[in-house]
Amino acid sequence: MEKALMAFAAAMCVCGGCVTGIYEGKVAVQAVESIGKNPDAADKIQSMAIVGAAISETCAIYCLLVAFLIIFILGA
Amino acid sequence: MKLQTAFFTIIIITIAMAALLFYINKKLREFDPLSEPKGIVLLTIMYAEMIDNLVKGKTNEKVAKYLTPYIMTVAAYIFLCNIAGLFALETPTSNLSVTLVLAAITCVLIEVYSAKARGPKGYIKSWFEPFAPFVVLNIMSKISTLLSLSLRLFGNILSGGILMSVIYQMLGAISRYIPLIGDKLNVMGVIVAPVLHFYFDLFSGVMQAFIFITLTSSFIGKELPNK
Repeated sequence: MEKALMAFAAAMCVCGGCVTGIYEGKVAVQAVESIGKNPDAADKIQSMAIVGAAISETCAIYCLLVAFLIIFILGA
Repeated sequence: MKLQTAFFTIIIITIAMAALLFYINKKLREFDPLSEPKGIVLLTIMYAEMIDNLVKGKTNEKVAKYLTPYIMTVAAYIFLCNIAGLFALETPTSNLSVTLVLAAITCVLIEVYSAKARGPKGYIKSWFEPFAPFVVLNIMSKISTLLSLSLRLFGNILSGGILMSVIYQMLGAISRYIPLIGDKLNVMGVIVAPVLHFYFDLFSGVMQAFIFITLTSSFIGKELPNK
């Protein structure tokens, strides 16, 4: 029973990644749109989009780390 | 004292990187500047130009002169650490101590360049901006830079490694249904895993190294005047 609850808690943690996925996709969409409007600035937009996506990804990484902690430290 | 297995990987990577750099140095010394570069010389020149442009774009010319060699070294080191899993070594970047050290170097550099740009009086004042009670928030924001930089690299690489081991177990369970050789050899793993290794080790390794150096240089560039 305890193990099942831990697995459920870990699964709930990873749910936080869903929102990150949606909005990281939005970053890519905006980057593509603005490169289409202004192809000269492609280099700058590309590096900014990558950095923005990386920063917003931190949230999902934290969710994943908490899930790992639950599985490997609480569950061990 | 018990050593972690990542320790030995770090020694192997350091030796390999030193050997590679000596080889490139020898090639560059033999290289005739008037002839057309090719092979490893061309790759080195392209790499140096790419990092130089990136750092110059984020900071100014004067800082870039001193920062570029460090950024180049750190990018190569993180990349080699990330792909160590391909050579059956334990990935050092999936150990929090390694990434924490790399992020701590970045944080120290940020403080050093901030102090250089503002002068001693302005630097102490910058901790109490916009007014005195904000010192707590300023300290917290400095710690959060350290944590987010190290945990981003650590989490990405660790999750790739764990996903790969889970996938190997699943493929091993599937390949048991293959007659004759299925019991002894992970047949499905041999077929499916290389594509996934390409994504989780190579692509994500390159991306994380690039993100780390981009964030390092833009954090430092943020502290400089007129940027």
